[in-house]
Amino acid sequence: MVNPLIFIHAVCAELGLFAFLWVLVEMLNPTETRIARAQIAAVFGFAFLIFAWIMGGFYYVEIYGLHVKPLITASDAKWVHSIVMEVKEHVFLFLPILATSTAALLYKYDGELIENRDARLSVVLLSGLIFLLGFSIAGMGALISSGYRVALMAGMV
Amino acid sequence: MKSKALTRAAALSVVLIAAATIGSELSAAFKQLLTSIGGHHWIGKSVLSFVFFGLLFFFFSKISDHRFTLKDTGLLIGAVIFSGLAILIFYIMHA
Repeated sequence: MVNPLIFIHAVCAELGLFAFLWVLVEMLNPTETRIARAQIAAVFGFAFLIFAWIMGGFYYVEIYGLHVKPLITASDAKWVHSIVMEVKEHVFLFLPILATSTAALLYKYDGELIENRDARLSVVLLSGLIFLLGFSIAGMGALISSGYRVALMAGMV
Repeated sequence: MKSKALTRAAALSVVLIAAATIGSELSAAFKQLLTSIGGHHWIGKSVLSFVFFGLLFFFFSKISDHRFTLKDTGLLIGAVIFSGLAILIFYIMHA
């Protein structure tokens, strides 16, 4: 059975990523109303990513390391841990920093985003980066789940 | 708030996360130091990433000017791509 922490971690992370996609769309043609919506979306996106960080971190430290990692590393799919999980757990740490920066730029420039092309494009590019990087990490999560299934099917339990 | 200081602090924090990640695999003593922060080396890196970000923002706020351009964001995006690839290549070679 899938651990509920994994479900909460994945759902929160994806809600956070879609919130930043929402920010990107609002900033393509900003108005005062769209900027206000983007600011709310960025705050929610940041909060969801922080919660996903805490949930995923708790699962990684308390459950994955004790019960999942030993099975994967003993199987033919040990690269799933030694490459995919290692990259995922560390690249994830970029996301809260990028989310903080994007939300801070949105609040700093506020109504100026309509006229200030550099600030607006910065928010668009950073939101897009959060979305792409985040879904690459989600793909890595799917690979890790597949690696765990491979280990279980190989009779490593 | 200075936007240039924010993006520079974020860029350098991302590079430092990559450096700490690779450094902790190469040095058992450094990994132990990170573990001593929160009981696990990943928690140590997580805590340090935001501490670095805050301290670097404070530092860059003192020395950066107010003129924020798209180049500053480009620097941050470049740092993310460079650091992400560095971590990926390191673990492929290290596996």
